[in-house]
Parts: sequence; C-alpha cells; structure tokens
Amino acid sequence: MKLIAYMTDNADLLVFLTEQHIELVLVSVGISAVIGIGLALLTQSTPRLRHGLLSLTGTLLTIPSFALFALMIPLMGLGVAPTIVALAVYGIFPILRNTVTGIEGVDPAVVEAARGLGMSPGRRMRTVVLPLAWPVILNGIRTATIMLVATAAIGAVVHGPGLGQEIFRGLERIGGANAIEEALSGVIGVIFVALVLDLLFIAIAKITALRGLNVR
Amino acid sequence: MSDRPAPSQDAMIFLDGVSKHYPGQAKAAVSELSMEIKRGEFVVLVGPSGCGKTTTLRMINRLVEPTRGRIFIDGKDVTHADVDSLRRGIGYVIQQIGLLPHLTIADNIALVPKMLGMKRTDRRRRAEELLELVGLDPAVHVGRYPKQLSGGQQQRVGVARALAADPPVMLMDEPFGAVDPIVREKLQMEFLRLQASIRKTIVMVTHDIDEALRLGDRIAIFGPGSRLAQFDTPLAILSNPADDFVRDFIGSGAPVRRLSLLKVSDVLASFPSDMPSLANAIEVDAGETVHRALELVLASGAEGIEVGGAGGTSRYLDLQSLLTAAAQPTKVLS
Repeated sequence: MKLIAYMTDNADLLVFLTEQHIELVLVSVGISAVIGIGLALLTQSTPRLRHGLLSLTGTLLTIPSFALFALMIPLMGLGVAPTIVALAVYGIFPILRNTVTGIEGVDPAVVEAARGLGMSPGRRMRTVVLPLAWPVILNGIRTATIMLVATAAIGAVVHGPGLGQEIFRGLERIGGANAIEEALSGVIGVIFVALVLDLLFIAIAKITALRGLNVR
Repeated sequence: MSDRPAPSQDAMIFLDGVSKHYPGQAKAAVSELSMEIKRGEFVVLVGPSGCGKTTTLRMINRLVEPTRGRIFIDGKDVTHADVDSLRRGIGYVIQQIGLLPHLTIADNIALVPKMLGMKRTDRRRRAEELLELVGLDPAVHVGRYPKQLSGGQQQRVGVARALAADPPVMLMDEPFGAVDPIVREKLQMEFLRLQASIRKTIVMVTHDIDEALRLGDRIAIFGPGSRLAQFDTPLAILSNPADDFVRDFIGSGAPVRRLSLLKVSDVLASFPSDMPSLANAIEVDAGETVHRALELVLASGAEGIEVGGAGGTSRYLDLQSLLTAAAQPTKVLS
C-alpha cells in the first residue's frame, strides 16, 4: 500500500496541515458566528432588513468557492487573510438563518410572561430567548463548520493554509511520483477533520443541553 | 392638574379616560375608558371578543401603552413611570402560563425576587412558601421543571410566580381558560380561598360570564366598541341589568343564578318581622344563600325556613314567600 507508506513517511507534515486546517475552520466559523448572530440580534425590530440580509448572504453562498477565492486576490492578495475572509463570508448564512429560526421558534407566551414580569429587553434576550434558541443556533454553527471544512481546502488557490495545499500539490503534479498519494492523503485528512469537528459539536450540544427541555 | 379627576383614597387602580388607538385602524381598541378599582377588590372584566377587555387589562401594566389618558396605581400616576419596575410591582398571570421551560419551578417563581435583588437562600425559602400557599408540595416540586407538571399544576405555579414579590395588584388574563372544566372549577374555588387570605387587588379578564359571576366582587361588562355597559356587583347585574346588551350577555336563567348570590338575610329584610310561625320549618342560617335554603326545604319537605335570631326570636318564611321575594329583584335590593 503506497498510500499508507506515503502517509507514515509524511506524518509530521500531515499532522501539521491537519492542525492548520482545524484552526483555519474554527477561526473562520468564529467570525461567521459573531457576524451571523450579531446581525440576527441587530435586525430584531427590522424584519425587512433581516429578510434582505438573509437573501444577500444566501446569494453569496451560491458563488462557486473557487471563484470567490480568486476574487479575493485583487482585494487582499494571497495567504491566510483572504482565505479566512472568504470562509467567514460563506459561514454567515447558515448561522444567521438558524439564529433567526431559533429566535422565532421561542414560545411567544414565554416571552410575553417575561415581559409582564418586568424583564428588560436585554435581560429577556439573555435569560429567555437566547438560551431557548441555542440548540437551533448551535446547529447552524455546526452546519457552517462542516461546510467550511470542505471549502477551506479550496483556499489553497490563494495559498491559504491547511490540507488544501497537499491536495493541490498532488493535483498539479498528476502522473508524477506519489502525486495521487499526496492528493488522496489530503482528501482523507479533510474527511478526518470533518468527523472530528462533528463529534466536537455533538459533545458541545450534549454539554449545553437545557435540562428542563429534556426531562420527563 | 386641578380640574382633572383624581383617584379617591381607597382606589388601588384608577383609569382616567384611557384610549388605545392602533395605527392604521379606524376604530379605537379602547376609547375614553374611566374605571376605579378599590383596594382588595376582585374585579372581573367580561365581554365578547374584540370588546377591548384584554387591551384594558394590558394597559394597567402598560404591556399596551395607552394612546391617551392616565393610569394610577395606589394613588401614583404611572402613565410615564419606568415600565420594568412598574411591572415588577404587579403580578401577571396569562392563560398560556408562560413558565420558562429551562428553569426549575423554584427559579421560575423567584424570577421577580431575583430581579429585585433578593438573596439566593431567601429566594429559595420564598419559592417554598409560595408553593405551599398554592397547594403544591415544595419538597416534590421545587427542583422540577415545568414540563414535568400537569396543566393545573403549572397554572398554580404561574399564580405563585405572580405573587412572589408580594405585589398589591394582580392582573390575570383568562387564567383558568386552558385547563379542563373540572380542574378549572377546582382552581377557581382554590383561588377564591387564596384571595380571602391574601386580599390582593385583582383584575381578571374572562369571556365566561359564569366565571365572572362566581369570582368577581364587581364585574365590568364591556359592550362592543369598548363601551363599559355595566360595572357593578354580580347580584346587582343579575337583578337590574343596565340595558338589553347586558341582559343578552348574561343570558337566560338570571333569576335562578341570582339565588346563589342572594343571602337569606337579604330576602328576610323585605318582610315584616312578625310573619306567622310555621309548624314544620327547617332551620337555616341568615348568612346562607337562598339557593342553599331552597335546597334544604325541598330535600326535607318542610313548609318553609326558620331563621334563628338573637335572644331566641326566630323568624319564619314559607316556601312561596321565599320564592316570590327572591324573584323580585328591585324590591329585594331597595
């Protein structure tokens, strides 16, 4: 098995690229989450603006990732920064969408009762709406993360970090020695990262689950 | 300020010409409504849907901001007071209850005390006290979650939560509407008992005239267009409906319903004190309802009732006179 031999020989590099890939995805998703959740909260009282933002961020998602990365070059050059920006742009839609859905899904009676008890809008958001919407929001972040794990590999076209480098190097030299193994090990790495991060989210969901909603 | 009406000394809630006009709607939801509710009084707002009774209720704690008019609570003009602190001082119970599903029963009850800065251990004790008060075992329920309770139990917790900071005023929007009829009647009776001991000023909204008659010290019947058709005691409303709308609204059977509101003493007052004595009379307390007295007479087959007076002087009333008097509203009330 040439692949296994290749992977053991290059274990150090592959581990390094895998770590880079995970970091890249988590940083980008973090930025997407701040923007996505932030936009959902800021547009609470302006449903039309919110709707517009949903359409806009949804449209951005339809730009082929290869093209979006290429479009970044004239604006930001090559390297880590344009990769993160492009990934963060992709991540906004699922998080914004789910935050809006999560907030809208909170029982209006609960919010009304909280209002009637004299809870200020900020306190209602913190102690009632966000906790109850959290499972849905978290799911949006999870969807964005898995999506970005795959998209991040394309970031190598702008010399972004991560496993994409391995894949693109292999593809460029196709027919050369170990080219297939190189590309394949990158792909395997991406799948591995996706699985690890998905497990991470399952764990987070378990840990942050609201006891009151799951009791019998 | 001088020529504007002010609340009287014993008024707990005073609405001075309040109106609510929603933008884009031709007719006001509530227009120029004035009402005074006394300290410790249980007032029920009743009327057909769309009559503005819920809007009126929600203007008292300003969940709906009045377009015009003034609101006084306990003598203070709160029309422009800070809403959140106003609401923390007014208990609020809604039909859908709205317990926070992710908080325990104790934390739900202690929401307002927590906002008012009460310490953790004191909040816990307060929650236990209130559970006791509404007839739930604290040892069992304190650490439970809303989902683990039945509808009736949840509504009791809703009442406990509204009472947590011991507010002088409670607002209730169809509080017993979501539970089944048997539980509803039980909750109503429990609530009346509770109210007898805590003596809050309560305003409750319902569309059920029977519930209104059973619970209210006074009933405000709203007509179409938020017109206050009649605002009086249940007995007065059944005896002297103000107009055809009220008559229609209370429906048939008013004379029979009055029997459970009239006291034997009310009826006796319209007879001379020297009515002939009866050989076969059943003894009844003067504070008993006429309904109960009739039940006793019919069950025992007696000719009438005997009401023990002070110093062994009993008064008698035969069945026919009892019925005739009970059926004559104006005479009885005069």
